[in-house]
Amino acid sequence: MKLITAIIKPFKLDDVKEALRELNVAGMTVSEVQGFGRQRGHTEVYRGTEYKVDFVPKIKVELVTDDADAQRVVDAVVAAARTDKIGDGKVWMVAVDQVVRVRTGEMGHDAL
Amino acid sequence: MGRDFCAAYTKLADDLVAQLWTAATAGRGRVAGLALVAVGGYGRKELCPTSDLDMVLLHGGRSDRQVADAVAEQLWYPLWDLGLKLGHAVRTVREAVALAESHLETATSMLDVRPLAGGALTTELRQRAALQWRRHQPRWLNELHRSVLDRHARSDEVAFLLEPDLKEGRGGLRDVHALQWAGITGTENTSGPGAAADRSALTRLERQSLAEAAGVLLDARVELQRRTAKASSRLLLQEQDAVAHALGDADADVLMARVAQAGRTVAWISDEAWSRMTPATLEDAGKRPDRHPPGAGLLWRNGMVELAADADVPGDPGLALRAAAAAAEAGSRIGRECLERLGADAPDLGQPWPAEALRSFVRLLDAGRPAVAVMEALDQKGILVRQIPEWVAVRSRPQRNAYHRFTVDRHLCETAAHASERVVRVRRPDLLLVGALLHDIGKGFVPALGADHTEAGIVVVERLGQRMGFPPDDIATLVAMVRHHLLLADVATRRDLTDPATVTAVADAVGDPDLLALLHMLTEADSIATGPTAWSPWKSGLIDQLVTRVATNLAGGRPEDADEDFPTTDHLTLVGATEAGQITVRAGDGSLVVVAADRPGLFCRVAGVLTLHSLEVLAARAWSSPDGVAVEDFTVTPMFSGEPSWSRVEDDLRRAVAGRLSLESRVSERARQYGRNRGGGAATAHPSRTVIEIDNLASATATVVEVRTPDGIGVLYRITRALGSLDLDIRSAQVSTLGHEVVDTFYVVDSCGGQITDSAFAQEIRAEVLAELARA
Repeated sequence: MKLITAIIKPFKLDDVKEALRELNVAGMTVSEVQGFGRQRGHTEVYRGTEYKVDFVPKIKVELVTDDADAQRVVDAVVAAARTDKIGDGKVWMVAVDQVVRVRTGEMGHDAL
Repeated sequence: MGRDFCAAYTKLADDLVAQLWTAATAGRGRVAGLALVAVGGYGRKELCPTSDLDMVLLHGGRSDRQVADAVAEQLWYPLWDLGLKLGHAVRTVREAVALAESHLETATSMLDVRPLAGGALTTELRQRAALQWRRHQPRWLNELHRSVLDRHARSDEVAFLLEPDLKEGRGGLRDVHALQWAGITGTENTSGPGAAADRSALTRLERQSLAEAAGVLLDARVELQRRTAKASSRLLLQEQDAVAHALGDADADVLMARVAQAGRTVAWISDEAWSRMTPATLEDAGKRPDRHPPGAGLLWRNGMVELAADADVPGDPGLALRAAAAAAEAGSRIGRECLERLGADAPDLGQPWPAEALRSFVRLLDAGRPAVAVMEALDQKGILVRQIPEWVAVRSRPQRNAYHRFTVDRHLCETAAHASERVVRVRRPDLLLVGALLHDIGKGFVPALGADHTEAGIVVVERLGQRMGFPPDDIATLVAMVRHHLLLADVATRRDLTDPATVTAVADAVGDPDLLALLHMLTEADSIATGPTAWSPWKSGLIDQLVTRVATNLAGGRPEDADEDFPTTDHLTLVGATEAGQITVRAGDGSLVVVAADRPGLFCRVAGVLTLHSLEVLAARAWSSPDGVAVEDFTVTPMFSGEPSWSRVEDDLRRAVAGRLSLESRVSERARQYGRNRGGGAATAHPSRTVIEIDNLASATATVVEVRTPDGIGVLYRITRALGSLDLDIRSAQVSTLGHEVVDTFYVVDSCGGQITDSAFAQEIRAEVLAELARA
């Protein structure tokens, strides 16, 4: 199983949700976060002092999927979140050892 | 290398940017009104492998904005996609200047403006930026100086650190840049370190030295970044060999000596230049040195020592030291002209030194902290080595481990400075000060004059003492100080102070209460000047104890054994209260007492449990009653802040003593978690191996086993496990930490209660301890 984490621009959340729904991804967790990357939060047309680093609001989407579906999910998220501008974000994948459904106690694939 | 790389890389970047500009502006209107400039390091043509490309796209105002945005996108995106880091901005000239008005970093980056593409706006920006800088120069100079001082306070010296930060450290490249910016008064761009430094701030020779030193640092920085592909300028230990090799140095030691020397030069020139440019900010309100006349041939000017008109530099050998002493005593410096002339014309002092020169020398050292800066001045101008030729051997000599903070020469000056605070406690301040300054000078003469730095030091001090004109008795004292400068610290931390043999040995070696006092103060000064881990209340307490006992011995008294009797009555009460097969634990207030059935391996189990609870053992004593009950008293201190949970410690102790705790697995696991070195950062350039000494002479009743090994979790546990497995009874233990090494000393007896006289058995002990430590 894989944990897929995506940092995306806030206004892209609906597009990403839609793309995931089409893949029958059952659930996800969404949080409001802040961050910056290589451009330190500056836009292309930056007018402030070079040395300032600005945190920019982003959305973090997390979900756990089967190994077989993981790559497809990543591709879908990337395609849906892209605007071709700086600040589009990143997606990464991490191996998961164990998943448990709280209500029933099901584990592993059954819990997805 | 270095500058060549930067020039070549800059050219490459320029070509690429030019291409992108052409592509971005092709077929667009209104592009004539745009300009692209390089600022910061890119503007200075000082691009290191992982430097940012800092650029500003200038435009004429609202009507240009759309075009500017479009062009910007076509410039920045390709560069980002190539993986380069940019400092990018799109501004009008007015916006740029306005930003520079309020922000020092932006203002200084604008000083390095260099045109990349486009036209008239570049010139306008440069002119207005330079104008603005000049207009606000007094304020900028102050702020710049303050930022330099702030940075120095935050980061450590390039000259001294094991892993220096070549850019941000004191004596690093940022200091060079700050001087360049401070020197800018006209519109010319800088084209290399020191090139445009203000005439009045630096001499030509200083500018040359600065350029050379900056070159050394730049070379090292470029190679470092090539190797690590990271933006850091910290020359990590693991990279030093590779960088040395790339730069053609024989090994890392040679490279770091060059870097230390360069860092020192930059720091020195930077200090001098700033003190000339902003005398107002440096003058301390309380210090008015014009009170005492500085001496023959000298006078005060601007608060510094300068040469009088009638000064005869070549004909007055004592002049240099006289000037130095006067400056240091007033907490000030030697003025620039005086320093230059002394550097050029001051003669050596001859043999022996004139008495007045020796007096001046002692006065200089007696001045304490200010003497360190003044001696630095003398050394920078070559005056110090002219008058003490042996100093060459220790100049900028790095010690390459985290235990010794400074280079050897600086350590000696620091020791003398700390010694000056202690002169009231000795009968001969002059011997304390000179002895402090020379105590480690042997480090520059190994193996030429002796097998270790003490032996070599004795030879050098003998020679120097004669040259300085000390009478034979004083020379003998100085030599004795060098011979025994490590004695008190070593004995206090590695020997049982309550054992009469210990005290007698030291008393016999020292022989004289005055020498004892000198050694005591020297030991304190030396330890404090070594580094942050070399001195602690614990160590200080042990040395004080030792000195007191030795002093009593020398005065003919007998040592008081009243309060040091082990076991104390408290201990014996505990023994009585412990039933057979039970164990009693008393913990708190830095000590832990365990009473249990005696057996080899008891000590090691307690040591193991203490390790698991992050308790560091400083010392321990053990005793067993005739009917087989052992008392062990550990002096402990928490490794991390906060008290441990004593009830949990006690639980674990009970289980461990009863054989119900797997100490081996737990200690190993903990050692793995924390790594062999406690704390981050490199320990030393030349890690040592384990050394085991077995000695039957230090004590009449026990054998001393001394183990010197790299520090780590569980070291004490392992050593005592080895000793226990050979049925050795540990009577007492001292743990002394020297940076990342530890010296554990044990007073042991064999199972019959006697010393270990069988040399074959001694070999077995060595082998067993080594095997246990290797298992860690």
